[in-house]
Amino acid sequence: MHNGTLLYWRLCCLGAAALSALAYTPLVIPAGRYEPMLAGVPLTLWAGIGIAFALVGLTYLGALVHPDEDSARHDDR
Amino acid sequence: MTTWLWILGGLYLAVLVYATVYSRRRTRSSDDYVLAGSNVGLFWGFLTFSATVFSTFTLMGMPDFFRTHGVGAWIFLAVADGAVAFLILCFGYHIRRRVAEKGFKGVAGLLNDCYGHRWGGYVYFAGVFLFLVPYVAIQIRGIGIFLNAAFPEALPVWGWATVIVFIMLAYSEVGGLKAIIYSDALQGVLLLVVTWIIALGCIRYFGGVAPMFEQVRAADERLLSTPGPQGLFTAQFLVASFLAILLLPVTQPQLTTRIVIMRDTRSMHRMAVAFGVFAMLVVLATLPIGMYGAIRYADAPTSEFLANVLLFDQAPAVAALAAIGLIAAAMSTADSQIFALGGELRSLLSGHERVVMVRTKLAIVFFAGAALVFAILSSDQLVLLARVSFAGTSLLGPMVLAGIFSRRPPGLEVVVVTALGVLVFLGSLAGWLPATLGPVRMDLGLILLVSLIILGSVVFRHAHARTVSRVS
Repeated sequence: MHNGTLLYWRLCCLGAAALSALAYTPLVIPAGRYEPMLAGVPLTLWAGIGIAFALVGLTYLGALVHPDEDSARHDDR
Repeated sequence: MTTWLWILGGLYLAVLVYATVYSRRRTRSSDDYVLAGSNVGLFWGFLTFSATVFSTFTLMGMPDFFRTHGVGAWIFLAVADGAVAFLILCFGYHIRRRVAEKGFKGVAGLLNDCYGHRWGGYVYFAGVFLFLVPYVAIQIRGIGIFLNAAFPEALPVWGWATVIVFIMLAYSEVGGLKAIIYSDALQGVLLLVVTWIIALGCIRYFGGVAPMFEQVRAADERLLSTPGPQGLFTAQFLVASFLAILLLPVTQPQLTTRIVIMRDTRSMHRMAVAFGVFAMLVVLATLPIGMYGAIRYADAPTSEFLANVLLFDQAPAVAALAAIGLIAAAMSTADSQIFALGGELRSLLSGHERVVMVRTKLAIVFFAGAALVFAILSSDQLVLLARVSFAGTSLLGPMVLAGIFSRRPPGLEVVVVTALGVLVFLGSLAGWLPATLGPVRMDLGLILLVSLIILGSVVFRHAHARTVSRVS
């Protein structure tokens, strides 16, 4: 296991936790407010779409840098 | 539409029969039958996992949720699903390591091994039985309501529900998990294609995404923000739902099993990413369908809205595809859950393999019967019933995580606290206990309380063991 890989993996975990928490703050779900709209899409939706897709992006990055993936890659060689 | 229904329905049944016979021929042991040989690759793995998560709850429940409660439904499901994809990476790694050490027949059996006694497995099995049977029932009832609304002359809701259960039991009992995986894959593709065809039709109806939200704003601007017109999507409700959905791969045996039976870690990692993408695409497609309903069928009952938007407003071929897609979705989720319950029971049984298999197959029939009875008696609030089921199983999450992550067997108090949590939740649902713990919702309060106590127990036992080993 490489220290760099472990650090990247932990950063991914931290990012996923932070994004998940952010989704439930008034920044994303302000009660009764839907502006500013982005391309006609209300605030909660575009911010929520951004967070959900970012979580999937982090899953992709996490899969690349996961310590076990790293050792599997070395085993393959 | 009837002609298309016969053609597409016939094709679907033919593929199902072929997959069942093919799986039956390739099944050589009970592990092949129950765990598909534990050698599932990325393609089948991601489709079976996704199809098991997304069901009638998604294709029927989510459009209705968007229609009734507004855009907060995206936060309710999609954000939680994004987090589920990430959780699969962490949890998958640890449970697969445990399985490599101890073997795997089912989560209940694995918990027995991790805890060093049988109570962990028993409480887990009791919990999943209590909360999965209603979830299976929702699938069956959902499709029964839909088919009854679409073809009122043919069969009553209970008649459709019975037909679905019989077909599902037939191929599950004959082909085992492999047949279920093939039917899941077919359902996953159908679900994605059908929802997007209908979603694009809904967007075209409005003339684009921006005009869609403009019309919704004019109709009821509360649909564009939380907590929505009925005040459902409060921060507490959304956080409690997030935790309940996040823990699905940990607490629902049909999903945990699909993580364990992946061929290798790399396939499992890629499955997590593919599931995340699939989830975003499916939930995104249900949004315009819901917005369309908010404008055209704002005051219609759920069944009328769904029958119109999925069938009568569509071209005959699309409507037939939607009907088949819904039936497939209901069956693939329900069969996976019933089969998983059978697998969990098998992991708790001991004795000759043939006797255990006969008991497992009989138990699957019993679970299907229980779900059918519940389906006939339950209400039409599909998403809310599903959420109660998720919240119930999530209470098992801390116990499962403690067993999997802890290097030492957790104490009996972990099992006792979990059992008490489940009982209190049931008492609250029945109205015997309050619906809140002070200012906090009961489900949210319970999951936080149970998690804290279990975490405290695990940390204390580790610290104590370390002190003892230092002294000696």
